[in-house]
Amino acid sequence: MKQGYLDEQFCQVEDLQDEASPNFAEEVATLFFKDSARLISNVEQALEKYPKDFNRWDAYMQQLEGSCSSIGASRMKSECMSFRDYCGQGNVEGCMRSFHKVKREHGALRQKLEAYFQLLRQAGPAGAATRPGM
Amino acid sequence: MASRNQGSAPRALVVEDIKVDCLILMHMLHKLNCEATAVENGKEAVDLFLERKTFDIVFSGKDMPIMSGPEAVAKIRTMGATEVKIIGVSADFGAQEAFMQAGADVFVPKPVKLETLQSMLEVVISKKNMSG
Repeated sequence: MKQGYLDEQFCQVEDLQDEASPNFAEEVATLFFKDSARLISNVEQALEKYPKDFNRWDAYMQQLEGSCSSIGASRMKSECMSFRDYCGQGNVEGCMRSFHKVKREHGALRQKLEAYFQLLRQAGPAGAATRPGM
Repeated sequence: MASRNQGSAPRALVVEDIKVDCLILMHMLHKLNCEATAVENGKEAVDLFLERKTFDIVFSGKDMPIMSGPEAVAKIRTMGATEVKIIGVSADFGAQEAFMQAGADVFVPKPVKLETLQSMLEVVISKKNMSG
């Protein structure tokens, strides 16, 4: 979280873990990346098939933004918001630029979280008390 | 949460097509001792009401395939389900008007907090206890 990839909401997700669901946060993260890959693909297809359909582009990106909020993916969410701002301005170039940033942040977050959960697995239950900076 | 009807857990319906959002909400509801059911769009929610399934509280997302949240809420109210507490949930603050016009009781922005859910369920439970 010190690097800004994730915000307090991710801590809330981790706090939902208990004895019955000790890996809940990882489960959520896995599902997020499945969902978000689909949502990104939706945006990508809309950019190709529906030129300058800013309302449609915005609607698809809004779904991705919501998903980012749920897991606390703050940098990715910020890029989603930037894309939506450009939609509001009718700025195609701006949309394309920020969409590339969304995809880049998505990839970076995936790497960070994979490393994070691997660290947690190596640390075991005793190490779970201290969260590595992300 | 005390209940006069021992073992009568609140029955919640989650209407959400974004799987991660659904997973988090369902997990929270289970932690709060709810019997929770999830569907992926507004039409599936309406179908449950048509099958005379009853719920104490419904959490509905906004934009979903086949039928949107506000559309489903309006249909559920039209069917006479006026007692069920309906909560509109969306990252889009602009969705509040659509939900409230459709007949939702409350709008909650995403991400939903556990404390928010807990206070909503307490209202539902106390209402259940009063009606018996």
